[in-house]
Amino acid sequence: MKNNDLTNTLVENAQQETSPAQKTTQEKRSFLGFQTKDIVFLAVLSAVILVTSSFMPLLLHIPVFGIIQIGLGLQFSLFPAIGLAKVRKPLSLVFMSICSGVVLLFMNTVMFLCLLVCALIAEGVALLIFKSYEKDGACFLACALYFPLSLPFLYVWYQIMGGTVLAYVNSVWWVTALMSIAVVALCCLGSYLGLRICRELKKSGVLKK
Amino acid sequence: MSGDKNILYPLTGLLSAVAILLSGLIFAKEPLCPVLLTGFFLWLLLFGCHRACLRVLLPLLLVGGVFAGITYAASGDGQSALSMMNRTAAVFLAVVPGMSMTPVQMTRCLSSLHAPRAVTLGMLIALSFVPLLTLEIRRVREAMVTRGAGSLLSPQIFYRAFLIPLITRLVNISDTLSLSVETRGFTLDGKDYSIYHLQRFCPKDGLYLLGIAAGIAGMAVLA
Repeated sequence: MKNNDLTNTLVENAQQETSPAQKTTQEKRSFLGFQTKDIVFLAVLSAVILVTSSFMPLLLHIPVFGIIQIGLGLQFSLFPAIGLAKVRKPLSLVFMSICSGVVLLFMNTVMFLCLLVCALIAEGVALLIFKSYEKDGACFLACALYFPLSLPFLYVWYQIMGGTVLAYVNSVWWVTALMSIAVVALCCLGSYLGLRICRELKKSGVLKK
Repeated sequence: MSGDKNILYPLTGLLSAVAILLSGLIFAKEPLCPVLLTGFFLWLLLFGCHRACLRVLLPLLLVGGVFAGITYAASGDGQSALSMMNRTAAVFLAVVPGMSMTPVQMTRCLSSLHAPRAVTLGMLIALSFVPLLTLEIRRVREAMVTRGAGSLLSPQIFYRAFLIPLITRLVNISDTLSLSVETRGFTLDGKDYSIYHLQRFCPKDGLYLLGIAAGIAGMAVLA
């Protein structure tokens, strides 16, 4: 058991040690600190978000405030949490929101912009508190904040556009409050699950730093 | 024009999608809104989006009909049901320009506008991997059935037998893909690169946008 731990530590150290020349080449070949493998991993996760959110147009017109967030909350917190836990670089969440919002760009441009702003705010808050994504808490906070932050934007959007949902929001306030709490709880659960999956995959050697 | 016959310039498509969606939502309560949306539909048909238009038509009628029916049953007001139908139609019509262009065309357009390569690569992967990932999700579910893992509705089974294998598969796919991308000479270091097919704005795109704008302006005057 002790030998195994020792071997693992030695292998990790060997992987982490890179010469200054190698480091400069890596930095040159990166975009804002992202390498190709990071970009690809985040993009693949964004594609999964797209696939699992394909039923979104059906929720779009149900006159209940926050129903979209309830339907998509788990996907929009779980997969970003996995992405952040692996890549752990600032702007990862923004990058994922751009990639997963490509379809939204045509379907609901306002929602795309809203998610982009939410990602920026969530990352800003997490980095302001934790300084970097080294700690799991930073990843959890960013992903748990990301999707619930779209609720206030949605409220403002309904105020501008009017319609059935607005009438519902204004008349049954407790449903709005209940839905908002449910969205926050769902996103916290998603972020926790994402980090837990990452921990398990790192332990089994599937996910490397 | 985009280089390919009868296909809109990607940014023209994007602009028109925004215009169709917003005008559909703003004028949803107007009695003339169905005329405007039918006009958009015909305009899209005319400008090379016929396949996407036909693919969208049945879901539009089905989903729109269901929501309009529910609204009518809840409120008993025909006007509310019609505005719900209009809103749904606006969303479905806004998707048509996006559906009628391939991810590669969008990527080429962004590349010609000097968008960061990381962003164009990410967009390309996110859009073109959707069918492959749908297949992967189906495979994981089939494997679950073969092993007799149980129902997906159970949280423990969902986590252990579905999520973990799916993420493992995603990690493997992304590792292979990033290796493949790098061996094909892709770099993020801002070196010059060429674009196989340049996407250009042409008079036909201008005419298309003019038609959309005229429809919206006409509706604003009549409303």
